[in-house]
Amino acid sequence: MKKIFNNTAIFSFSILLLCLLFSSSVNAQTDTKKERVYIKIEIKGMACPYCAFGMEKELKKVAGVDNVEIELKEGLAYISTPISQKPTKESLEKIIIDGGFTVGTIEFSSSAFKRTKTKKKE
Amino acid sequence: MNRQLLTILLLAFTINVFAQGPPITTGTPVMLGLEGNGIRTFGKIISKENTNIYVQPIGIPYNISPKFQIGGILPFKFITPKRAETNGGIADVTLFTKYQLYKKDEKAKTFRVLANIKQSFPTGKTSSIPQIGSGIYQTYVGFIVGKISSAIGIYGDFGYNITSNGASDNFLYNFSVGVPLLPQKYPQKQINTFLEFNGNYVFNPKIHTLFISPGLQFIPGRRILFETSFQMPIVQNNISTNKTKYMLLLGTRFLIN
Repeated sequence: MKKIFNNTAIFSFSILLLCLLFSSSVNAQTDTKKERVYIKIEIKGMACPYCAFGMEKELKKVAGVDNVEIELKEGLAYISTPISQKPTKESLEKIIIDGGFTVGTIEFSSSAFKRTKTKKKE
Repeated sequence: MNRQLLTILLLAFTINVFAQGPPITTGTPVMLGLEGNGIRTFGKIISKENTNIYVQPIGIPYNISPKFQIGGILPFKFITPKRAETNGGIADVTLFTKYQLYKKDEKAKTFRVLANIKQSFPTGKTSSIPQIGSGIYQTYVGFIVGKISSAIGIYGDFGYNITSNGASDNFLYNFSVGVPLLPQKYPQKQINTFLEFNGNYVFNPKIHTLFISPGLQFIPGRRILFETSFQMPIVQNNISTNKTKYMLLLGTRFLIN
């Protein structure tokens, strides 16, 4: 009888532990998504694919950036970083100027910007 | 010939499409900024009445700053006269620098003016017949101008070439119109078409040559580009022998890093 009780207790405890782990993992993922900062950068003069390549390459070097999306026709670049690694406006401006282009507006947002193109899978 | 030219011109000016890569036989005013180094090489076949020439230059530009670029061109040249053996080797090495004098950037368009200085050295051998090098120092001082928008790219470069050892100076000029054939997206395959004009005016004796050069460029990915251009003479004044029949260029450019 005692053995059955012990087995049931161990089983119940394991299920509880799994539920807790799963729940914390989901929360962690949600928190990571929530804690990103989305940045839209207007890059004036970016009018050719090679220009876009240069900008993509430089923006990927920003800490926390794992994906850069370029809308060539609109002269826009989109990046996102964890909020803890949010770059300063000045550091982004320097990247654009060093790349040989002119900085337009730089917008920061807690939610992703709407695009005219289909979002590329990360 | 006139009908072909008209078709090319109509294609160049009526297709409403988007941005393009650098022109093929004309200088580009866009320098790719800090660390924007790339390599360009192409093979060029020059078919003359009595000679066939193959030139394979390798050009390596390096951006010191967003406004200032230096670079070098190492050309290999092979000359085959009619009923004679081919003679080839390293031709005249050129060092160049470009400096951005003016820039006006707007949304998906730019207008830029660059100063361009080139110095060629007589590194090609002149002891052989036919000779591979020019045997003279040449200093070129010129400008590169370009307006690139989301619909069309218009480029021009021109400059004065000062020669040594009593050779005649010359004035070189190139003009290019580029039109992309695919919608503007990045990254995406790009096909661009160019119509270019390449001129050279030698002062003493007075010799003027002008070529019309339709070209095609294919960009399959982020880092590499393939291009071809066919140059046909439309003016060859005061050249009595060994006139150029045509020139064919096949090349590639790729970005390192």
